[in-house]
Amino acid sequence: MTRSPKRALVTGGSAGLGAAAVSLLQAGGYEVVVLDKDSPAASENPVKHISCDLASRPELDAALPELIASGPYGLIFLNAGINATGHFESIEAQAHIDVIRINAEAPMVIFARLLEAGAMRRGAAAVFVSSLSHFTGYPGAASYAASKDALAIYAKSMRRHAKSRGVSLTVAFPGPLRTGHAERHAPKGADASKPMDPAEAARLILADALAGRKSSIPGSANRTFAVLGRIAPKPVTALMRRLIYSRL
Amino acid sequence: MIGAKSRRILITGGNTGLGLALAAKLARRHKLLLTGRKSEGEVAGTLPPGAGYLVADQSDPEASAATVLRGIRDFGWDTLDNAVLNAGTGFAAVNGIDSTQAIRASLDVNLLSALLQARALYPLLKKSGGTLTLIGSVAHKGSAAVPAYAASKAGLHGLARALRSEWKADVSVQVLHPGPAKTDMHEKAGYDPGFMRSLFLAPDDVAAMMASAIAARRSPVTLSWVKYLNGGAYTGRRL
Repeated sequence: MTRSPKRALVTGGSAGLGAAAVSLLQAGGYEVVVLDKDSPAASENPVKHISCDLASRPELDAALPELIASGPYGLIFLNAGINATGHFESIEAQAHIDVIRINAEAPMVIFARLLEAGAMRRGAAAVFVSSLSHFTGYPGAASYAASKDALAIYAKSMRRHAKSRGVSLTVAFPGPLRTGHAERHAPKGADASKPMDPAEAARLILADALAGRKSSIPGSANRTFAVLGRIAPKPVTALMRRLIYSRL
Repeated sequence: MIGAKSRRILITGGNTGLGLALAAKLARRHKLLLTGRKSEGEVAGTLPPGAGYLVADQSDPEASAATVLRGIRDFGWDTLDNAVLNAGTGFAAVNGIDSTQAIRASLDVNLLSALLQARALYPLLKKSGGTLTLIGSVAHKGSAAVPAYAASKAGLHGLARALRSEWKADVSVQVLHPGPAKTDMHEKAGYDPGFMRSLFLAPDDVAAMMASAIAARRSPVTLSWVKYLNGGAYTGRRL
C-alpha cells in the first residue's frame, strides 16, 4: 500500500476546493500534479503544474500525454469546475458551452484516457467532484446542474469497469463552499458564514475516497438536504428557487 | 381531442426512429417542422405528408441552435406550441471505455445542442405558453454499456429539472425517459442487444406514450414497460 512515492493528480488545484485537497494530499505524503489554467500559489511544497484551459479541446488533447506520463497515480481528484448563474435564457451561449466542457466533458475525457493508459495504480482512488445540486436541482444555474448530473452519472456508469482495473470511484456532492469562485455566484444577501470551509470539505471527501466509498456528501446539513431532495424532489427544487433563483 | 386546436410542433431528429414515429402520430392534427442530419433528398418520401423538413446537424451545438431558429422563421412561424428536442446519438463503449470522440459527440449532440436550442427557442415558446420536451433515456440513471450516452441523458434530466422551475410562469418544461425501442439506434451505436431486442417496445407504442406525456406536461416521465403494461400506449391524454 505504501509504495513510495505516492502520486496524486488534482485538476483545478490552484484555488478553492482543489487547492485545499492539494495541501491535504501533500501533508499525507503525496507528490501532487496540478492541472490548472492558473499557476498554483507558491508554497514550501512545490507541485508539478501542467497548464491547461479545460474549456479548450486542443489544449486538453495536448496536455494528455504529459498527464499520463506524470503518473501512475494513487489518487486523482477531478475537481476543476466553473459556474454560470443567472436566468438561463440570458446567459451567453459560450458560457453554457464552457460550463459543460469544463465540468463534464473534460473530467470524463481525462478519466477515460488515464484509465485506458493504465495511469492509475491498482488500488487507486478516483474522485469526481459533482455537486449537491444532483439531489436538489439548481434553478439559476441550469447548465451547471446539467454538467454536474452528467458527471455523477458518468462516474456511476464507469464504476464496475474501473473496479475491474483496481480503481475505486467516489462521487463527491459538496454543497456551498467558502471559495472565491462560489461567492461570486452566490445570490446577494446570502449568509457568508453558512458555506463550508473548503479545507473541511476536502478532508471529508478525501477520507471517503481513501475508504473506497461510492459517494461523499460532506457535512450533515448537506446530507439532510440530499435525503430530502431524494424523498421530495419537487418541493426541494422549489425551495432552491426561492433561495437562489428569485434572488439572482 | 375533438375541437382542440392544431399546434405548431418542432421535432428534432424527426426523420428517423422515435422522432419519426411521433411525427407520424401527430401529422394529421398538427403542423410539424422536423429536423434531421440527412439531406432533403435522402428523406424525401419517408416523412409524414405536410410536415416541413430542415437539415440541422447537431454535431456543432451553436450552429444547430442558429439553424433551427432560422428554419422556424423561414417556415413562417413566429410562435411555437411544442418543441420536442429528441435528436440523439449513442456509442457503445469499446472495452468499457468511451473514446474521446464518443464522449465529445455524445455531449455535443445529446446535451449541448438541446441546451442551446432550448435557449434559442425560449421567446417563441413563451409567446404561446408552449411546452419544451427534452427526450432523455432510461439510461439517465447510469449504464456501463454506454457511459457517455448515460451522462448526456443525465445532463438533460438536470437541465429539465432546473428549467422547469425557472420557466414555470412561461413555458412548461419536461423530460421524458423512453426505454429501449425497436429503432436502428442500437445498430448505429455499435451495440448488439441480442435476444433482449425482442423485449424492446415498438416505436409506435413509445410515440403514443410520448404524445400523451407531452399533452399532460408532467416531468419527469419514464416511458417503459411499466407504463406500457398500464396501458400507456392506449390511454391517457391525446395531443
